[in-house]
Amino acid sequence: MLATDDTIVALATPPGSGGIGVVRISGPRARSIAAAMVGAGRPLEPRRASLRRIADAAAGGRPVDRVVATYFPRPRSYTGEDVVELSGHGSPVLLRRIVSIAIGAGARLAQPGEFTLRAFLNGRVDLVQAEAVADLVEAVTPLQARVAFEQLEGGLSALVADLDGTLFDLAARLEASIDFPDEGYHFIDPQAVAAELRDLDGRLRSVLRDARHGRLVRDGCRAVILGAPNVGKSTLFNRLLGMPRAIVTDVAGTTRDLLSETLDVDGIPVTLVDTAGMRDSADPVEAEGVRRARGAAETAGLVVVVLDRSAPIGPDERRLLADTRGTSRLIVVNKIDRPPCWDAADLAAAGVAETTIPVCLLDGDGAPSAVREALARALQRDQSPEDTPVVSNIRHIALLETAAVALDRAAGAAAEGVSEELVLADLQAARSALEELSGRRAPNAVLDRIFERFCIGK
Amino acid sequence: MPGKKGASRTGRGDGRGEARLAPAPPGPAAGGPEDEFDVIVIGAGHAGCEAAYAAARLGCSVALCTLSESTVAEMPCNPAVGGTAKGHMVREIDALGGLMGRAIDATGIQFKLLNRSRGPAVRSPRAQADKRRYGRWMRDELRRETGIRWVVGRVGRLLADGGRVRGVELEPAAGAGERVRLGGAAVVVTAGTFLNGLIHVGPERRPAGRAGEPPSRALAESLKSCGFTWGRLKTGTPPRLDRRSIDFSRFEAEWGDHPAVPFSFLTDSVERSPVACHPLHTTPRVHDLVRTHIGESPLYNGQIAGIGPRYCPSLEDKVMRFPDRERHLLVLEPEGLDVDEIYVNGYSMSLPAPVQERLVQALPGLEDAVMLRPGYAVEYDFIQPTELRRSLETRRVRGLFLAGQVNGTSGYEEAAAQGVVAGINAARLVRGETPFVLTREEAYIGVLVDDLTTTGCLEPYRMFTSRAEHRLLLRIDNADLRLTPRGREIGLVDDRRWSRFEARRARFEANRSRLTRTTVTLADGRRSRASQALRRPDTSLGALTQSGQVALQVCAGQEHLDVASVETVFKYSGYLRRQEEAARRARREERRRIPAGLRYDAVPGLSREVVERLSQVQPDTLGQARRVPGVTPAAVAVIGAFVDRAREHGGPK
Repeated sequence: MLATDDTIVALATPPGSGGIGVVRISGPRARSIAAAMVGAGRPLEPRRASLRRIADAAAGGRPVDRVVATYFPRPRSYTGEDVVELSGHGSPVLLRRIVSIAIGAGARLAQPGEFTLRAFLNGRVDLVQAEAVADLVEAVTPLQARVAFEQLEGGLSALVADLDGTLFDLAARLEASIDFPDEGYHFIDPQAVAAELRDLDGRLRSVLRDARHGRLVRDGCRAVILGAPNVGKSTLFNRLLGMPRAIVTDVAGTTRDLLSETLDVDGIPVTLVDTAGMRDSADPVEAEGVRRARGAAETAGLVVVVLDRSAPIGPDERRLLADTRGTSRLIVVNKIDRPPCWDAADLAAAGVAETTIPVCLLDGDGAPSAVREALARALQRDQSPEDTPVVSNIRHIALLETAAVALDRAAGAAAEGVSEELVLADLQAARSALEELSGRRAPNAVLDRIFERFCIGK
Repeated sequence: MPGKKGASRTGRGDGRGEARLAPAPPGPAAGGPEDEFDVIVIGAGHAGCEAAYAAARLGCSVALCTLSESTVAEMPCNPAVGGTAKGHMVREIDALGGLMGRAIDATGIQFKLLNRSRGPAVRSPRAQADKRRYGRWMRDELRRETGIRWVVGRVGRLLADGGRVRGVELEPAAGAGERVRLGGAAVVVTAGTFLNGLIHVGPERRPAGRAGEPPSRALAESLKSCGFTWGRLKTGTPPRLDRRSIDFSRFEAEWGDHPAVPFSFLTDSVERSPVACHPLHTTPRVHDLVRTHIGESPLYNGQIAGIGPRYCPSLEDKVMRFPDRERHLLVLEPEGLDVDEIYVNGYSMSLPAPVQERLVQALPGLEDAVMLRPGYAVEYDFIQPTELRRSLETRRVRGLFLAGQVNGTSGYEEAAAQGVVAGINAARLVRGETPFVLTREEAYIGVLVDDLTTTGCLEPYRMFTSRAEHRLLLRIDNADLRLTPRGREIGLVDDRRWSRFEARRARFEANRSRLTRTTVTLADGRRSRASQALRRPDTSLGALTQSGQVALQVCAGQEHLDVASVETVFKYSGYLRRQEEAARRARREERRRIPAGLRYDAVPGLSREVVERLSQVQPDTLGQARRVPGVTPAAVAVIGAFVDRAREHGGPK
């Protein structure tokens, strides 16, 4: 376990991003370490940004950079500890130098995520937000960053708090019915309970539907390009990436192993995989390539089948189209600049019902953008509305599912008019799943709520 | 909560850590060897009676100190035992071998099973007591215990040295200068509302523990000098009316159940001449009167600083805090078969007596009622129960146990439950045995003790079923199955109760396996195992036995219990399975022990607030630590890791 009582320092902004870089120092000695770094002058005042010169004591006090220094006293800081932030010019070299001066002055280099760990331990962020920071640090695409940022900002936390607030209120009224049976009070109607629970369940489930999209954003999608040899798979691969990554020849069977690269499709990281042409081959190396292509296709989120319209549909193509039927696939029809060997009717006869994307991959910019748009459409089928938080963390999804199942049971029980304590048992299960999700203890003061709202007791 | 810090007068005695008490008498006790006891119990109320009985039953010599032998197990407030969650605790006390269940079965005059329309987990018995007979029954039962010696007098001081209790010193009786000392290895304090008790009726203030009984001041100071955190609470009681001045024909009569469900597992049936209660309501005129005189209420003019229970609001609170309510429910309750006092449930107040009389006579039907004595509010000191271990022994003074209202609770049942726990543990301490602790998934008594010792009290603590997260498992129909084996293990369950229990458990097991084997035909003609059929809402075990499809083993007099306990197991099997799973998870965390005296400030990453709270409560287990207010799940994870690592390395405790 990391020590949590010393003073740590690290770059707080991603390296090489933008004109300003922030070095953060956190811990009991943050202020004195910073004071040593900026040398003599006025002491740092709480929450007041001041322009300072960093000097390197080890190099005879030679000035290193001019920074804006801000001191945030505990507990109202990012980590809940004393924090000093030094904003310097974005040069990675200078920023690294500032970090090493801080280490020389007694700070320890922070491990990845350590600031967030401290913020979490000091109750400054909840678990959801802490996990979001980790996601943010590792975000590859801007949309991933936005999802992580939303969770960091508490989008999911706010949703959970809102759901729990309603559950809490329901629980209080149900509890009152049990504990004060002869008050002559009508605390709540069972049908109203059922309706409220159904409504909550619906909200949870819509978040969960969006969660599938969230997972896509976080984990991305694997798109595998399949097709007979020499139909233009590698050309498509290169054109989508915008760089020649695969070797393209007009000799069939050139690509024998899997090639993969990451592509940003409207914010979703797509791992594009180029494969060997699908044909029975006597060449053991090529046969192995085909075997691998099949394996890749089986685990792919999306299959891109490339067909050559200038060549007849052969048994290899038929088999490929049959094998990929029912999976999520795009059909790219290439070489439309040449005389066609078949038309849409022939394709329909081969069992292709969907719209295809006709392209000439050797021609202009239009071809890759048509494929790219089709890819984006395929990925965004479950696009979430902007105003609901996107859940992408597997742990969060599992807990939300647990809560939804419990709420569904509670709503069913309430509708059947079963006794309140049984409805409450499931309602409680839902609440503890939400509590585990946020890592924050939900208020369990149902009695307080009851006494505040009802005049009870004799 | 109204009980914000500072709203109540709280404080802490000046003696810190080591108790500063009078030293024990040197050598043999002043009064000779017959004045040495294993256990001394101070107070013979609901907590004291159970504590003395349990300790005596476990083989200890017991001194039971009471101010008067005529106020044993007194009911100074409403003449009733049980109610939701409270009735559960009475069952549990009984299942462990305690007294309360048998006492109320013997002297109750109207029995009701509450929440009949709800599921079995929240059904709970309640009974109106004949309060005089109740106290007499309890006194007679205790007199049969040869190990108990009655000491009539007022305890003024605890004797202790080296952080260990050694006995008590009585205040000299009027005229006599002799201060009698009793030696004891364990002392159980059950002082009720007597610690610096102060009664308010309008502007009048009288030091008293109960109406007409002087308070215990010296004992309060002696306790505070140990350094305990303490506070001040308030409770109240309504006026009493003369039965002969009331025309009951003007009210609707509410009768009890017939046949009644008894409290004790030893009682086959209760045959008591039925007595009625009479509900009525307040009126706008009553509310106007209260508003007119509100300035004379010590609750509203600042005269009372103690915090009252919100679940038992005074009339003043009902009117002032809920101005939108047009009326409030009251009940006229008899205090006994041959007692002329009528208790006005729901009408507790501390207005001046003449105003109370007008308020009584303003109630429709009570125009001619005679008020025998006014209601009053009483303020008293309590010790913050976070000072206690889960055995109810104080952490500051070894051998000193506290039980009942002195721990901030309210209610006869809450007091009795603590009395049993404290009595058992006092005896076990004397005998050199490990503490007896009930857990939250085992009993309401476990919930009670855990809540008190973990979160403390901001207002008088009353039990509710909503406090028990494993509520579905804590039923009146299985209190004996849960607890009688525990009571037997520690020696409180006698042979008679045990053999009866063994027979009942054998019937339960036989019936359970029979229901899983028997096939029955349902109303729609389909056939199904009885155990499965019972899960349908339209199928009851009663109907199945009546139609002759299922034959159960039942014992005459215990049919209700025999049927109810086995029916519940199947009818709610899905819910019970899930809750048992939750209980298992809780038990895992409950098994992870935190070493005694853990220095929380040495655990990295804990906030100062968390360190402070945990240092005060000193939880025994990780589960208990999680329940300490203000402790975050992250903090629990950190402590768990720290304790594990310390254990592996054999490092710091």
